[in-house]
Amino acid sequence: MTEKKLSPENFRIVGKNPEGMEKITRPNLSFWQDAWRRLRANRSAFIGLVILIIYALLAIFAPVLSRYGFSDMDADAMNALPSFAHWFGCDATGRDLWVRLWMGARVSLTIGLSAATINMCIGAILGGLCGYYGGKLDMIIMRIVDILYGIPTLIVTILVMVVIGRGIKTLIIAMCIVGWIGSCRFVRGEVYRLKEQDFVSAAQVLGVPNAVIILRHILPNIMGLMVTNLCMAIPWSIFQEAFLSYIGLGISPPNCSWGILAKEGIKMLRVAPHEVLIPAFFICTTMLALNLLGDGLRDAFDPKLRGTEV
Amino acid sequence: MLRYIAKRVIAAILTLLVLVTVVFFLVRLMPGEPFTSAKLTPVVAENMQKYYGFDKPLAVQYVQYLKNLLHGDFGYSMKYTNRTVNDIIAATFPFSADLGIRALVTAISFGLVFGIISALNRGNKIDFICVIIAIIGTSVPDFIMGAFLQYFFGIRWGLLPVAQYKGFSYTILPTMSLAFYTLASVSRIMRASMLEVVNQDYIKTARAKGLSSFRITTRHQIRNAIMPVITILGPTVAAVLTGTFVVESIFAIPGMGKYYVDSVSTNDYSMILGMTVFYGSFLVLCNLLVDILYGIVDPRVRIGGKAGEAP
Amino acid sequence: MKNKILCVILTAALAATLFGCGVYEGSDTAPEPIGAEAIGEEPGVSGAVSESLASETPNGGEKIFRYSELQEPTTLDPNKAKCILDNEVAHMTQECLVRNTAGKIEPGIAESWEISDDGLVYTFHLRDAKWSDGESIKAEDFVYGLQRLMDPATASEYAFIGEYVKNGAAVESGEKAPEELGIKAPDDKTVEITLDVATPYFLSLMGSSAQYSPIRKDIVEKYGNDFAATAEKNVYSGPFMITRTADGQIIFAKNPNYWNAGAIKLDGAELNCIAEGNTAVAMYESGELDFVKLPTETVVNYDDIDHEYMNGNEDYFYINEKSDNKILNNKNFRMALNYGLDRNTYIKLATDGVYSPCNALVMPLVSGAEKTYGEEYTVSSYPLDGDMARAQEFLKKAMEEEGFSDPSDIRVEITTTDAEASKKIAEVAQELWTQALGITITIRQVTYADIYGSVLPNGDYEIGYAGWGPDYSDPYTYLELFKSDSPYNYSNYENAEVDKCLNASRTETDAKKRMDLLNKAEQVILDDAALVPLQYRQQHYLLNDAFSGLNFYFCSINTDWTYADKAL
Repeated sequence: MTEKKLSPENFRIVGKNPEGMEKITRPNLSFWQDAWRRLRANRSAFIGLVILIIYALLAIFAPVLSRYGFSDMDADAMNALPSFAHWFGCDATGRDLWVRLWMGARVSLTIGLSAATINMCIGAILGGLCGYYGGKLDMIIMRIVDILYGIPTLIVTILVMVVIGRGIKTLIIAMCIVGWIGSCRFVRGEVYRLKEQDFVSAAQVLGVPNAVIILRHILPNIMGLMVTNLCMAIPWSIFQEAFLSYIGLGISPPNCSWGILAKEGIKMLRVAPHEVLIPAFFICTTMLALNLLGDGLRDAFDPKLRGTEV
Repeated sequence: MLRYIAKRVIAAILTLLVLVTVVFFLVRLMPGEPFTSAKLTPVVAENMQKYYGFDKPLAVQYVQYLKNLLHGDFGYSMKYTNRTVNDIIAATFPFSADLGIRALVTAISFGLVFGIISALNRGNKIDFICVIIAIIGTSVPDFIMGAFLQYFFGIRWGLLPVAQYKGFSYTILPTMSLAFYTLASVSRIMRASMLEVVNQDYIKTARAKGLSSFRITTRHQIRNAIMPVITILGPTVAAVLTGTFVVESIFAIPGMGKYYVDSVSTNDYSMILGMTVFYGSFLVLCNLLVDILYGIVDPRVRIGGKAGEAP
Repeated sequence: MKNKILCVILTAALAATLFGCGVYEGSDTAPEPIGAEAIGEEPGVSGAVSESLASETPNGGEKIFRYSELQEPTTLDPNKAKCILDNEVAHMTQECLVRNTAGKIEPGIAESWEISDDGLVYTFHLRDAKWSDGESIKAEDFVYGLQRLMDPATASEYAFIGEYVKNGAAVESGEKAPEELGIKAPDDKTVEITLDVATPYFLSLMGSSAQYSPIRKDIVEKYGNDFAATAEKNVYSGPFMITRTADGQIIFAKNPNYWNAGAIKLDGAELNCIAEGNTAVAMYESGELDFVKLPTETVVNYDDIDHEYMNGNEDYFYINEKSDNKILNNKNFRMALNYGLDRNTYIKLATDGVYSPCNALVMPLVSGAEKTYGEEYTVSSYPLDGDMARAQEFLKKAMEEEGFSDPSDIRVEITTTDAEASKKIAEVAQELWTQALGITITIRQVTYADIYGSVLPNGDYEIGYAGWGPDYSDPYTYLELFKSDSPYNYSNYENAEVDKCLNASRTETDAKKRMDLLNKAEQVILDDAALVPLQYRQQHYLLNDAFSGLNFYFCSINTDWTYADKAL
């Protein structure tokens, strides 16, 4: 080991470099960019997203491209098994299940997505206000929540149907009247918990305006749980639609949804099992995709994992 | 704390009153009549109206209803003539409650355990299995789940009774069908929340203090992570306990769910109202309990003891 | 890693909680199962349920008939019975003056009876018979029963069934006191009933309508509104008594005081109310039921072993002739609807090929003058396969008359209920009519309470789905649906000739002439295409081979197990 003597010639004064001090070595990513980057890298979440996109495309194009209409009955093809002519077989009145499945997907996915999103937005806003400000506002909204919770969904649905008739819109509205409560309570609880935490207190002490605290400190922290919740809420809406169909309050025939298909199919479990297995498979895989995506989004939105390598 | 509880109780009573009022007038807006016999003649219809006091002004009926309600009297059902709503609730609620409690205990204990295990094993096979179970649970509609369980365990393999509710073996399938969804949601929320907590400073502190990871997990992590689960419990408990129509009808369990749904489609006013009030009080009670529980479990809320209410 | 151990412990604890708490009390290392303690304790409730459930299981030596129904009886009060099931339960537990067993009139509490020459006054002579509590059955009990039925204060939904009795309608509407009803008890053993008009089917009607049961005044007064709310709040005059009503079951036991107890073979019965038809079938297969009605879609699985009977229910579409949609008032259009419906295909699609297609109004099994109506009379009607060429002709004529150039411009709406079967009926009709006629059809679904509560009575529909079950074995019960002043004439159909025939039939005493009149009315209604008949319900069922002696009937009582027997 040789010892090298250092002499002043080895050094030179570089002076202050104001730009270099502020320079960020990694590319500057916005919140959303970072989230997207992390989501893409998460393989299972990406698979979920791809499945959902495929289903959405099939829902849009499959019924148009098929030679069968979704309400065409064929007495010779009643309960037909899947075959080349009918890819997914036929139902008890000889209607092609491939077409009906994707017609149903339109209805179910529309209802699921829109009801869940609307609910989450309403719930997040009200829940956030309740949780953050507390006091009288909280008291009032929570009492409204209690009352709404008590009103049977069925009555609400029937009354909405009376006013605007049966249809997708009716179901979405009926679900939104009571559906936001869950996310409201949930967000409220989270906000309440967060607001006691040190970084929020610190921000308050520093005099940061409430709006900024909510947007920059609280929202990113609950985003993860909210997204997980949203991905659970979509299945909830799809199931709720299925339940309403189960008791006969679904959309008007001959239109169908996955809930209606599953309901009609379940009776045939012992006669023609494919009539329930096929819709059940697609309901399940959709939920699976939503769940995978939800998990991925949760991680992607988690501020504590921000900027980490994935 | 006592003052807080008193305040909440008063608020609960007011809530119920508003609920009764809203539902009382809402059911009258529903299309159709409560007397649904296909062979109802106008004369008979008029007699029925008189019998149930529908010929009086709505306000008078409302006051009368409230008076009866004060005595805990829900009145006579319009579909099940000669039976009071109180009777029907008393006869059917035990079944719903029994099934509900079984389902809840199963769902919460399994859900929490799965959630914790899968969070602790994040990323490996065990996590994967738990997540798959949770996903199946949340992806299959209950009527499909119920019918499949019934078909395979009851009919195909003959392991368990097909339907009805006459003893322990009868309760297994309905409990599974009813619990699965809640189980899955609890486990997912628990998992998410555990992962959230693991990065918190107090966990790091505890670790730095040299606490064993067992103690950290049990005393700090789980305890803090359980909060969001408790928040969703209130409504879930009430919903599960008052029975779910679908599982009850598949397994022919004489619980409340069927009557509730039935009463709405046949416009059985007194039954709708009675069940709504019952369900509503139950719900309010559950939420109250959850709030108090929240205070007990969450150390911050307890110490803070703020004037506001616990979430 | 200690956390691994935690996982194992948690799982173990979970298993312990599930299979009995005793196990894990001993192990003090196990952490408390989270959540379980908060809501955990196995409740007192569950104990109560299982205890009460454990109390009865029919033992092997007894002859117990276990059967299921999709509904639950709405009432055990015979006066207030309002559906087939209510009526069946009352038929098993109460004895009217006569007993109608599958159309055969047998003596009931009345040993014998005389009918006056004008057919108006019936005098019944009662036998010595006892209530289940040992009191003897008196003529007064029948008088009170009928008076209570018609009394507006009772508010029986089925009170109209007593309108045959003199002053019945007046008592029902409150114009006359119940005491003025045409039923008298000159002494304890004689009942005298006076009718409004001679009604040939009165005995048959009375024998199958529980609303005519004797009622004990002291029991009614004792329990007031709670009368017959539970098994012990009534007494029974019929072959069986109800011993328990709970847990979705009704338990019957043989009534030892029944006058004809010797003819009753069963020791009891167990009615299970099971809302899902498929569940009931599964229970039959696992040996928990002896009798089950098959949902139509499952019939194919039991081709060789099932039995069937006609349950009398006829399904059809009302066509609202006062609707805002003028095309429905056009006879040619209504004819086009009837000719354009291939009923055989319809049956295959809508009912899995199980029910019988129907192109008439009166079900052929009801009594005619001597034999059944179907054997004595026929009507000329639309072919069951439909006739598309004629349908097109009618449609063309209708379009000319109403000023349409394109059939798809004709829009009609089918109103149906939210029940699965009625939804399917509407869907199939929509599809077949669209194919055959090219018209545009939409479907509106409403709740059950809505369709009979307001949609049909208020005429707030265009084509409305409905079903009708006969109350008595006579063509009149069906034809009445299209009499202009009938409360059930929801289609607002008015035809002077139909009214004339039906009114004349009420006073005509010659059975043959009366039937001719009724047949003529039916023919006119069909020629006017006042309705679209769809199907007769052919009920398939499975019955345990050990049982015999069940009777099936299409009026008011479908399943009659009074005389059933079990081979041990």
